[in-house]
Amino acid sequence: MISVTPTSSTAEALDLENLTSEQTAMEIRDLNLHYGDVQALFDVSMKIPKNRVTAFIGPSGCGKSTLLRCINRMNDLVEICRTSGEIILHDKNIYDKDVDAAALRRKVGMVFQRPNPFPKSIYENVVYGMRLQGVNDRRVLDEVVERSLKGAALWEEVKDRLGDTAFSLSGGQQQRLVIARAIAVEPEVLLLDEPTSALDPISTLTIEELITELKSKYTVVIVTHNMQQAARVSDQTAFMYMGKLIEYADTNTLFTTPEKKQTEDYITGRYG
Amino acid sequence: MNHWFKSGKPWIWLTAGAVSISLIAVIGLLLMIAWRGLSFFWPAPIHEMQVQTPTGATTVLIGERYETEEIPVSRLNESGVFLEDYDSPVLQRYLIKVGNREYVPLDFTWVLEPSIVSDTTPKDLAVIERSKDGNFYGYPVDVLENGESVLTSQSNLRDVLFERIERAVEFNEQAMDLQNDEISTINYQIEQLRLERRGLQLEGKLTPAEEDRIASEQAALREDYMEIEKELFALRDQAGRDAVVMRDMRGEEVTLPMYRVLDVTFPNDMNILQKWGHFFVQVAKFVSEDPREANTEGGVFPAIFGTVFMVLLMSVLVTPFGVIAAVYLHEYAGKNIVTRVIRIAVINLAGVPSIVYGVFGLGFFVYMVGGTLDQIFYPESLPTPTFGTPGVLWSAITLAILTLPVVIVSTEEGLSRIPSTLREGSLALGATKAETIWRIILPMASPAIMTGLILAVARAAGEVAPLMLVGVVKSAPMLPVDGNFPYLHVDRKFMHLGFHIYDVGFQSPNVEAARPLVYATSFLLVTVIVGLNLTAIGVRNHLREKYRSLEH
Repeated sequence: MISVTPTSSTAEALDLENLTSEQTAMEIRDLNLHYGDVQALFDVSMKIPKNRVTAFIGPSGCGKSTLLRCINRMNDLVEICRTSGEIILHDKNIYDKDVDAAALRRKVGMVFQRPNPFPKSIYENVVYGMRLQGVNDRRVLDEVVERSLKGAALWEEVKDRLGDTAFSLSGGQQQRLVIARAIAVEPEVLLLDEPTSALDPISTLTIEELITELKSKYTVVIVTHNMQQAARVSDQTAFMYMGKLIEYADTNTLFTTPEKKQTEDYITGRYG
Repeated sequence: MNHWFKSGKPWIWLTAGAVSISLIAVIGLLLMIAWRGLSFFWPAPIHEMQVQTPTGATTVLIGERYETEEIPVSRLNESGVFLEDYDSPVLQRYLIKVGNREYVPLDFTWVLEPSIVSDTTPKDLAVIERSKDGNFYGYPVDVLENGESVLTSQSNLRDVLFERIERAVEFNEQAMDLQNDEISTINYQIEQLRLERRGLQLEGKLTPAEEDRIASEQAALREDYMEIEKELFALRDQAGRDAVVMRDMRGEEVTLPMYRVLDVTFPNDMNILQKWGHFFVQVAKFVSEDPREANTEGGVFPAIFGTVFMVLLMSVLVTPFGVIAAVYLHEYAGKNIVTRVIRIAVINLAGVPSIVYGVFGLGFFVYMVGGTLDQIFYPESLPTPTFGTPGVLWSAITLAILTLPVVIVSTEEGLSRIPSTLREGSLALGATKAETIWRIILPMASPAIMTGLILAVARAAGEVAPLMLVGVVKSAPMLPVDGNFPYLHVDRKFMHLGFHIYDVGFQSPNVEAARPLVYATSFLLVTVIVGLNLTAIGVRNHLREKYRSLEH
């Protein structure tokens, strides 16, 4: 039996059911999702609080990554995927027809399971998003690079070799570079899809420390396989099972006194 | 035995054998072409032989031993030749290149080994390379200036000869430059004026003032022309001042005017270093000079230039086209039956025989597109076609269509190899699909695009059949690039190494003289293709290194 003790939640618990609009970064309402004939998400509703770390946990195939990819409409790329329901960002449903997915993704950044730096220099990787927005002023870009790399705790390691190819970095460094790349465009929400699953323990630790720092500026949503990680880094945790949101609560509460039997079974290691 | 089969060893032997056979075939082919092609440039010794004729008399032959052949005596007997005192069933015969085309009935002759009475290689024998009538073999006897001998008792015949030839070659080159640059420019300008006049006439705008202007410009150009022509004649006279007297194999003294002499060598009097020097000079001449004597002599520079130019033009046309098509097929087209049918059709396009593309190019590009272009843009030069006739542009376009499937297929393969995480990474940063393709996908697919281009170049550079319909000629008077505006004349016909091989090998009036040229040109064609490919492979490896995919 695994014993999990939440350690990081220094922030006071919020009433997740009744968040005020100032406290809410995004709200998911009755979200259903189908891959072809297969339903992957069932009536998911939740509010994601601002400037805090929210973790999605659950066994493989429970739909936690799918849910995450709905938040910045990455599922649009899957042809057979249909969604219904709403995800609200700034009083606007991001699935409305007039919402530009590219503009949305600038506000809701994403970091993937495996580090995916572009085959460019470290510098060009960080400024990629800025260049897309048409920013080419060298001074502005230099500032962005320094700020983002510092924000991703990578600056000290790479400041002397910004022109090197991003592939010259280690896996953990690459993942931090990808985070720097994501925060370079100043998103409001940062989605992390199992960001440490391809990394070694030391790199994982660095990234986890980084995540707790990031929440002062960004709202962070993290999908993780690793319950200890969720307990360490998140303020509130959502447990999903078979496409349904089973329990969503303050991390301390969820890991110590889960309300649902399924949650308890999962965090005590009875399945998953 | 059963155990041996089970061990898999026979299979290894079989596979290794297949590889070895391929390797031997490739190396053997290259070696044979290289050997036969390159040995043509090696200064062969000149033999002076006394040969017994069937009537019993002896004659002298001077020439290069070109080829040796073993033939059975019985075959000789059947053809009515009988040899006395000869026991062996086979004998050797030599093909002797005796040159001196205008003085002897045949410049190649077979000699039977037993009929050779004596065979020497005197050091004084010279080969004179001439701009007309091929090589001359003989002994230099005298050097004339305006018909008078310039030899004195102190002077060395060879030194004087070299010096005079150098002078004549110098004047010839000047005359050639004059002809190729200035005279051809003036001719071009006169032609442009004529076309301008005709154009104005067709539009009904030919006012008397215009007509006077054009006439006066033409007159001025003609005057310039006369000046230059005078200069040209003066140069030719200078070049023709001297002559060399040679004693040929008949024992007669022959006077050869210097302006036809390109070079003189004494191959029997060369040490190995001089031979190598001569060899490299000959090779350099071969790749840098224009052909002479219906392509059987001289170099192949216009053909090299034409081949490379056409292939580069084709690459410039086929790459963007193929890449764009592949991007649509792979990135935008729906994954349905129509796309699949289109893809199969594209792949099958690669299997259409190339001559069919030639016919299509002639019918569609040359006659339809070119004919229409002529009527719209060049009505003044009709009925002489400008684009409505085979030319290097149509050749390049035809070959571009021929190689399009290759580029599309390999680009698509490259596109599908790019990890989807990179696309997602770019999209997650707010890039649109088009931006992702342009900034991430295409640069990463560039090695695959280069692979497609390499295959396309390899295929296109070796194609001859379609080109014969859409632009290649035996002898192009002008290169497709020159100093006259607009410098790039893609409407012109061009020469091609592949066609040159065919032309020299099959259409030449002098088969024996042409044979080594066929090998030399083949070797050159292979070298050019390998060169183009190595360049492209170099670029590809550089790109690969740059866009190395994520490897963990």
